[in-house]
This record gives sequence, C-alpha cells and structure tokens, in this order.
Amino acid sequence: MKHRLSLLAVFSAVLALLVAPVVTHAKDIVVGTSVALTGKYARTGQEQLQGFQMWVDEVNARGGLLGQKVKLVHYDDESKPETGARLYEKLITDDKVDLLIGPYSSDVTMAASTVAEKHNFPMVSSGASASEIWERGYKNTFGLYTLAELYMDQILELGKEKGLKKIALVYENTSFPRGVAAGVKTKAKQLGMQIVFEEEYGKASTDFSSMIIKIKSKKPDMVIGGSYLPDSTGFMRQAKENRLYTKIFAFAVGPGLPDFGTNLGLDAEGVMGNTQWEPTLKLPGASEFAAKYKAKYGHEPGYHAGGGYGAGYVLEEAVKKAGSTDRDKVRAALFALDTVNAFGRFKVDATGKQIGKPAYAVQWLNGERHIVLPEEAATAKVAYPFKDWGKR
Amino acid sequence: MELLEADILLQLLVGGLLAGALYALLACGLNLIFGVMRVINLAHAELMLVGAFGAYVLFNIFGLHPLLSLFIIVPAIFVVGYYFQRVLIERVVERPMLTSLLATYAVSIILINIGLLIFSADFKSVPVLQGSFLVGDLVVSKPRFTAGLISLALTVAVYQFLERTRLGKAVRAVSEHAQVAQICGIDVRKIRMLTFGMAAAMAGAAGVMLSIIYSFWPGSGIDFIQKCFAIIIIGGMGNFVGAFYGGLLLGVVEAFVGGFFSTQWAEAVAYLLLVTVLLIRPTGLKGVARA
Repeated sequence: MKHRLSLLAVFSAVLALLVAPVVTHAKDIVVGTSVALTGKYARTGQEQLQGFQMWVDEVNARGGLLGQKVKLVHYDDESKPETGARLYEKLITDDKVDLLIGPYSSDVTMAASTVAEKHNFPMVSSGASASEIWERGYKNTFGLYTLAELYMDQILELGKEKGLKKIALVYENTSFPRGVAAGVKTKAKQLGMQIVFEEEYGKASTDFSSMIIKIKSKKPDMVIGGSYLPDSTGFMRQAKENRLYTKIFAFAVGPGLPDFGTNLGLDAEGVMGNTQWEPTLKLPGASEFAAKYKAKYGHEPGYHAGGGYGAGYVLEEAVKKAGSTDRDKVRAALFALDTVNAFGRFKVDATGKQIGKPAYAVQWLNGERHIVLPEEAATAKVAYPFKDWGKR
Repeated sequence: MELLEADILLQLLVGGLLAGALYALLACGLNLIFGVMRVINLAHAELMLVGAFGAYVLFNIFGLHPLLSLFIIVPAIFVVGYYFQRVLIERVVERPMLTSLLATYAVSIILINIGLLIFSADFKSVPVLQGSFLVGDLVVSKPRFTAGLISLALTVAVYQFLERTRLGKAVRAVSEHAQVAQICGIDVRKIRMLTFGMAAAMAGAAGVMLSIIYSFWPGSGIDFIQKCFAIIIIGGMGNFVGAFYGGLLLGVVEAFVGGFFSTQWAEAVAYLLLVTVLLIRPTGLKGVARA
C-alpha cells in the first residue's frame, strides 16, 4: 500500500508539472511559438528557437519592448502539423499570448497559419518557405525565408553553364520539399534541361537504396533533393554505398547545417545546397550574432538560428512601429515594413510572402560550408565537378 | 523495361535480404518473448536503441568500433533483460493482455524520454565501415553487408540453441505449455528470465547493427516496432522460424516495391503484406491454429 501511495505521489507531482500554468508578470509582453524539438525537424527547430531566444535575451537587456519585459512561451510540436495546429490554438486561446512566431517547417506552418488566420492573429513566420502557404488568401502569415521554389535556381544555372542536361529529382512528400521540386521543374524547363528521374518519398523514409539503384540506371548528370537534414545525410551516405556518381549533388536544408559535415565527414565534400543566411554575409549585426551564438551554444549558427533571431528583430520593429501589441496595428506595420537586420532584408507582398530576400547556394569545401553563389556574396569558388567516390 | 535487367534485380534482392536479416533479428526476439510468456514487448525497439546508443557512446568516448562493442553491449543487455524480467515482466505474465501491454508501453515511453534527456532529439550515426565493395558488377554496401551477416549469424545461433541444447528445449517446452513444463521439473521463472534476457540481447545487437547503417534518435523505435508487429503476424505469433522468414520476406518485398514502384509505397508494404497473409493464411506463415 505504501508503495502504491508513493507511486501516486510521484504521478501527481509529474502531472502537476505538466499542467503548471505559465507564470508571467502582469506587464510582460508574451511571445508564443512552437517548434519541433523532437522528430524529424528537431535539429532545425531547436536552432530556430535558440536564435529567437537570443533576441529575447537581447531585447530584455536593452530594456524590453515598449518598456515591458518580453517573455517567451514555447512548445514542442514533435514535427507534426496536427500537433502544431493544436499548440497554436492553445497559445492564442489558453496562454493568451500577445505576439506569435511561426513554427519550423512549411508543413507545420501550413497548419499553424490556418489557426492564426482563424483568430486573425499576425504571425511572423520564420522557418517556412513553400509558396503554397501564401496562396490561400491569408492576411496574417509573414514570411522571412526566400521561397522554396527559388532554392535551386542558381545551382541549375551552374549546371546549365557546365553543359549538364539530365536531372534526377527526389523529394519528401510534404509542402516545402514539393515547393523546391516545383521550382526545379519550372527552372529546368526554362533552361532546357530534362528531368530523367523523379520520385517522392515519405517523411519517415530512411532507406533510399532502391531509389538510388533506379537513379543509377538513368545516368543523370545531377541529383537534386528536396530534403531536410536526416534524409539528405541518409541519401548521401547511401549514394556512396551504392556508388552513385553525378557531376552535382545538391540538397535543400541539410548541407546548410553544420551537422551535415559532422555526420558525413569527408563524404560531405563537394555537396551543394541552399542557405537562407550565413554568418559571413555582410549584414548589420550578423557576425556579432554569430560570435555570441557560438559562445552560448558551442557551435556556429546555421541559417535556422539566424532566421529565429531575425524573426525577433522583425517583430520588434513592427511592434515599435505599431506602438502597441494590438493585432491590427502590428499586422499593418508588418505589411508596411521594409528593413534589413542581421538575417537580411524583410519586405513582404500583399499576401505576406517574402519578396525582399535573395537566395544563396552553399557547398561543402575542405570540411567547411561556403557560400559559392551568387559571386558577390561568395566566400569560395565553386568546386566542379563532384569528385567520384573512388578518387577521394 | 530497364528495371527488369538481371543486375538490378539482383541488386535489389541482395539489398532486401540484408535489410531483412536485421528485421529478422529484432522480430525473432519479440516473438520469442511472446511465445514463452504471452507478453507483447512494446519496448522491444527501445531496447534496440539502447544498443544503438551504447555503440554510439562507446565509439565516441573510447573510439571502440561497433563490431567490438557488440561483445560488451550484448552481454550487458542480456543481464539487464534477465533481471528486468524478474523485476517487472514476471509480474504481468499470465495477467490479462492489457496489463502487459501497458507495462511495456510505459517502459518504452520512459526509455525514449531518458534517451531524449541524455542524447537530445538529434539524429546520431556511427561513421564506420562506409562505402562498398564490388562482387562482379554487384555493388555491396559494407555496413549493410556486415550488419546483415552478423544479424543472420546471431539469429541462426539462437535458433540452434533452441533446437539443440537442453536449456533451449526447456524454453520451447515452456512456450508449448508452461504448467506441463513446470510439472516436468523445469524452473519456469528462470526460463522466462533467460528468454527475456536473450531477446533483449538480440534487440541490443540489432541496435548496434542499426547504428552503422542508419541515423537514429531516441524516437526511432516506432518505425521498427510497427514493422516487427507486422512481421510476427506474417510469420506466425510466437513462432521463431516464422519471424525469421517474415523478416527476410519483408526486407525483400520492401526493396522490390521501392525499386518497381516508389520508396513511399515501400513503407506501406509491411501492412499490405500483413493483410494479404491474414486473408490467405490467418495463422501466419508458420503459425498453428491454437486456442
């Protein structure tokens, strides 16, 4: 019996922790967000949250927003759109937050933005780039990222310049990767290049070997992946195991993160990708942010962290401009804003879609991630072609 | 159709068998536990991840190659499983099925969250044995070949133990009928502990193999346990050999479906196979109708 009682005590203690209300001071400005802290998008979600957290710390150190302290309430959406939607509902109706930051991934943003729209609550959306998010006539989703459709343009142009013709295109079956793929198809058509292989895969796919065997039989010149981190690293690892070789390997998201290099080691060499932001870009406060981030978290920030940080600044400027956290005033301010912060330019069109920020292509060279395109922002020259596995 | 070329078919077949061997190792353990104590171990895939993270830690701290860490991890998880059975599982054996399901589900949640606390939700991998070797025109992945071969060897070894040794016979006797086994003088509790320890060790070994093939995180178990359920139903509940064939079958079918249709379909195929087998042979491939 005693045993059972103590179990009960532990259980109720745990329960109490779980349902403990968010304690805030009466005058705090509460910002709510949910990002993936577990599941497929965990790494990137965590980076975004840490970047945003740095802005919270900074703004409070500067005396807060409109003279009030900023407080962050955040949850884990487990990389699931349905959980994300539920959490934004909770943030708005239950926690009664004053301001909203979007989740990570286009997939979860699709769901979360619908909730924000229902409550007519403006949401600064870092971490989403699929253009379908802004094709639904919503008025409350403000994108920070360059659109997914533009991710691979520069790399395709490079391929064209080098005389490449045949593209193998693989992508996850969710919003953002499909957006990347749609962009690749449009651009390839423009450039007169041919998609010789195209296949979608599931969010939980870890084994790409059957797909790679098929790709090999099509003998493409370049492989392009609409991917996230785990699938792009898995694909490259298995490409090596199956001796798939093409002139260019390019993936969305994965190669833009330091983990790509640490997980793949030398096999990351030469792989191209896209980035929304790098610490080397000449932007106000970018290198200071990178240094502070590294000191705090022990590694260089990737673009997801930069996006989280930038979202904070966009929110700050909008609230200052609005003079309050009133939803209508903040929304109007976000539509009108044209500003440059450490993450880059922020300017949206009438749907809230980002139109001010350019795209950058990266490549892994000598164990480091470098911007290689466009040339004015490049920190290294493109290495072409990809070195064959046997010759490394 | 170029896909019908012999070398591509062979390539898919070999890849499928190697992946299937790993499924088989995991599923055989799960089925062994079910056979002997009628408990469905929902924490089985998490035991596998304990093995995977064990290999990860040993590799990163001591630089120990996962193939060597097998010799530490497998006995360690055996001991843990042996006593774990006595402390927890023994209490739910012969109780209503829901009790054991809840108990093992709880264990799985606890293990996942301990994993998240220690290792965070990032994907980890152990970068050894990368690349491939050629057999004629056939490309064979080094990590998959190694993992497949070791999985196969371990499964066969456990099977031989069950078939050939006195102790193995006792395990089978308890699986057949626990009370009769007890009357014959078999220490049923000890046998259950041994069985659980062995199955846990098999899962741990599967985890070490997993660590050299895939990236994993503490929540990776769900994909595997779902496939394992399909495998043991396909193969026949409680039947060791059935689970072995079921595992290989699933590996090969997944590879072919991935090759002929798409990777997306390959993920659903376990359940399609499950439904098909249930329609044609409700007891599973090797199952026997039993009340």
